[in-house]
Amino acid sequence: MPQTTIYAAPRTREQTPPPAVATQELARLFGRSAALAGVSLQVERGATIALLGPNGAGKTTLLRILATSLRPSFGTALVGGVDVAQRPDLIRRRVAYLSHATGLYDDLTAVENLRFAAAMRDLPDARQAVDRSLAAVGLTVDATRRVRGFSAGMRHRLALGRLLLGTPSLVLLDEPHATLDADGMALVDRLIGEWKAAGVSVLVASHQAERVTRLADGWARLDGGLLVDCGGTGVTATARAPQGLPVAVART
Amino acid sequence: MNALRADAAVALQIARKDALSELRGRQIAGSTLFFATLVLLLFGFALGPDARRLADAAPGLLWLAIVFGSLLTVARLHQLEAEDGALEELARYPVERHAIYIGKLLAGLAAVLVLGGVLLPVVAILYGIDLAAAWPALVATLLLGSIGLAAVGTFYAGVTVRMQAREVMLPLLMLPVVAPLLLATVRATSSALAGNRLGDLAAWLQLLLVFDVVMVVAGAATYGQLLEE
Repeated sequence: MPQTTIYAAPRTREQTPPPAVATQELARLFGRSAALAGVSLQVERGATIALLGPNGAGKTTLLRILATSLRPSFGTALVGGVDVAQRPDLIRRRVAYLSHATGLYDDLTAVENLRFAAAMRDLPDARQAVDRSLAAVGLTVDATRRVRGFSAGMRHRLALGRLLLGTPSLVLLDEPHATLDADGMALVDRLIGEWKAAGVSVLVASHQAERVTRLADGWARLDGGLLVDCGGTGVTATARAPQGLPVAVART
Repeated sequence: MNALRADAAVALQIARKDALSELRGRQIAGSTLFFATLVLLLFGFALGPDARRLADAAPGLLWLAIVFGSLLTVARLHQLEAEDGALEELARYPVERHAIYIGKLLAGLAAVLVLGGVLLPVVAILYGIDLAAAWPALVATLLLGSIGLAAVGTFYAGVTVRMQAREVMLPLLMLPVVAPLLLATVRATSSALAGNRLGDLAAWLQLLLVFDVVMVVAGAATYGQLLEE
């Protein structure tokens, strides 16, 4: 693995445009347990970053906060310089999120699901965008079938197709290879490559460390709700602990 | 004006999606109509064969059946969203939260109107009442009552959708709030069937209108909080 970056001071606004993601002491509690316990990291624009860590590390919680599905309990999270808690409406226009759950409607067909998503995003030429998305994820022939009859892998492909509608500046992928066959996994890898080439920032949470680090510019490892390690390019730990150490590292 | 048009388009898309899902899946209509008709039938048996007694009780029993049926309807419409993370996905779209509420409300309203439209003739047959002369007032009462039920039901279905005991919590939360609506709809229906002899029909309809406006505005203003964890 590339050398770990321990600490980098946040860049000032005058020097560069805001990073794709910047969190500061970000924490999220569920009852008394902390799913995230103070994560401070910065992801550069256009970077593809692998989020690694065991189950319960806080990867999904971090992605859900960045996608505006969860409010932070403490700390801040900025996407493109915009606070997710203050202006979730702006964030929702910039972020595309693939979660564990597909969020599909079983009694609608594949094409109806995507057309609904396109309508919610008020996309121009929605019909063509939907057709392109279905073709990109290999579901054109199943477009008029109800999703209820789809396999888990097909549902996952359709959810991926929904990500391709619109032009996000940040893509968040939570276990994107799960439930997919070899072709499906290759499709995910190809899409990540295309986003990367287009300058879109991508955060990929995965247990398939080898696979995603191969695709990514950098990586960050979470454990127990803390950022324990990060490296490569495009991602830095930015905690301002009293001794200049990342809080997460100081706590471990 | 553009924002209003965009919100209306979003609300209609959501209502259309819910209606399409229900028409295809038929998970609400059949069971709700059967349940509400059964309620009317059982009340009819309980009251006995006295025609006068049945006719007097008809407005109250009609609206109790509609309220019970609407509980099932609005709960199911939100349950559709809870399956496989659809509600969270819906909340992530860059649309106004009140547009989502209005969309869900419209879907609920359509379902409650269908329910009421079916139950009215059922009541007429079972309880021996004549609807012919009273239908304009009955339609107005049904419309205003259904809007209120859909408004309250949509909000509380949103409150309870993530709860473990949502089937129990929804009636516990919703029924006390719809008590004024139940009173007004029953009185308005009674008055309509009696040919508005006491001249109080307009007052009950006005009360329903005020209830609807307050509930729709309150629901639209606060529903967004329910979508975020």
